[in-house]
Amino acid sequence: MIDTFFSTGQLGGTRALFMAAVIGILFGWVLEQAGFGSSRRLSGVFYFRDMAVIKVMATAMVTAALGMTALVASGIISLDAVFLNPTLYRAQIIGGLIFGVGFVMGGWCPGTASVGAASGKWDAGVFLAGTVCGSILFNETFGLVAGLYSSEPPTISFVHDILRVPRNWFVLALTICGILVFWLVEWIEKQTVQADRFSGLRFLKQFSFILLVVGCGVFLIPEKAVTPEPELPVAPAVVNGGEKALLADIEEALDHMEPEELARRLTAGQTGILLVDIRSKKEFHTFHIRTARHVPLTDLTTVLLPHKNKGLIILYSNGMTHPVQARDALYRMGYRNVYILTDGLAGFVQRCLKPVSLRSEPVPVAAAAEINQWRVFFLSPPAGDAPPSPKMPAISYWRGY
Amino acid sequence: MKPSAKPYMNPYAAGVCLGLVLLVSFMVLGAGLGASGGIARISAAIESFFLPQHTWNSPYFGAWGKQPLNYYLVYMLAGTVIGGLASSVLSGRFTFQLEKGRQCPSWKRIVLAFSGGLLVGYASRMAQGCTSGQALTGGALLLTGSFVFLICLFASGYAAAFLVRSQWYD
Repeated sequence: MIDTFFSTGQLGGTRALFMAAVIGILFGWVLEQAGFGSSRRLSGVFYFRDMAVIKVMATAMVTAALGMTALVASGIISLDAVFLNPTLYRAQIIGGLIFGVGFVMGGWCPGTASVGAASGKWDAGVFLAGTVCGSILFNETFGLVAGLYSSEPPTISFVHDILRVPRNWFVLALTICGILVFWLVEWIEKQTVQADRFSGLRFLKQFSFILLVVGCGVFLIPEKAVTPEPELPVAPAVVNGGEKALLADIEEALDHMEPEELARRLTAGQTGILLVDIRSKKEFHTFHIRTARHVPLTDLTTVLLPHKNKGLIILYSNGMTHPVQARDALYRMGYRNVYILTDGLAGFVQRCLKPVSLRSEPVPVAAAAEINQWRVFFLSPPAGDAPPSPKMPAISYWRGY
Repeated sequence: MKPSAKPYMNPYAAGVCLGLVLLVSFMVLGAGLGASGGIARISAAIESFFLPQHTWNSPYFGAWGKQPLNYYLVYMLAGTVIGGLASSVLSGRFTFQLEKGRQCPSWKRIVLAFSGGLLVGYASRMAQGCTSGQALTGGALLLTGSFVFLICLFASGYAAAFLVRSQWYD
């Protein structure tokens, strides 16, 4: 299982920014080579003159979907390590409809216009100026559309789950659809421009065949996906008191809480902290931070509503993936008291619970005493709480998540 | 296009390359490709240059803090421009021009390009992504909202295409 900058919460770090720029260069290069530095070529798709947009987009989508499916199925990368755009039907339907009109009017989309402007196209520069104004307009008129985000909880939704088919069957179907689309658009181009721009029945046959083989190939990888577990009944809330001090905390703190700070607050017995574990129920039962409460992502909005802007809500998972997404979604719904645990449970275990004797770096005496205190507090079976599995602490130090 | 310009890459080969770049992005960054996010961050920086307090307190840009440019998509956008420039120069396709049909007056093309940009900039924020970040990236991850966005985008694009076709008349 590989770590990504996103899963380790370092997407804002210097190395991630550098890699983003490198990937951007490759992205710009490919777009330009594909001919997407030309608005005439891009808008040709809407007049059935030049279907390159569909050919490139569909090929890229099928390639990446097959690749991701293979990587996930073989356990190389977890979907948890990738930012998943939440589904918001109304915002995305209306946004898509407006976007299409803007696309055909301007002849560009944001990525291609960047490449077009870089290859000297004035109209791309004008279009980009328009997108800047459009973004500012959105910010200024956000109040008008805020209802789109607050009325519908953002969910991570996969098409294959909606259609109730296994992921690899859906990817195979997507591949076959892609191939059919390629043949259709080649036929359309032949009708409209009569040009043998792309002399390649033979190539297209070979390409279709290869895609089909790869599409079937994903079935050979044994599926390791975990089915989601039924939800845990909701425990009674534990938040009360301490409002004044907490409001001061909220003023100062950013959206992250460092593991050490959380450990200090919890061992000190501070009230008004709602610690939320958004991992699977199974993982929660294996081990969780003391006082944490298990809330599945789908139930987050209902369970957290009574705590909206009251006390501190701290979200954690193994890494940073889902908590960041959840926090952003909650922020949009008006929550101003949601924090994420820096580096997730993995970081908490590593930084607060790892025994001093196992650490490679020197630990000052005071810090060592604090760590021992935390170990006693978090690793001893608390009264009334499910006893942690005796195996757990030993594994987590070494797996490194 | 200049007479010296090299032909474009085979679209299917370009598509495979684009898909592989997207896969690399997933594996390294843990996030897909995006363009409108970078533009929006730059917009926030521009607005906060003129109206700092107003921008920091605004409901949408305000959430990005006082350093909106410190974000991976801004760097990706800068990379996209560099990659596009390098590719167009090396392939002999770099030319200063206003792309339009010969019969279309320049002002009309400029007005349409700007208005299109305005709608696209607004819609990308509303849908939380553009053709790169929402349609392509989310589509490759099989996310429902991305497919919905993609279908709506092409539906309205084809519906509106007839009305603005004259900008491409030769």
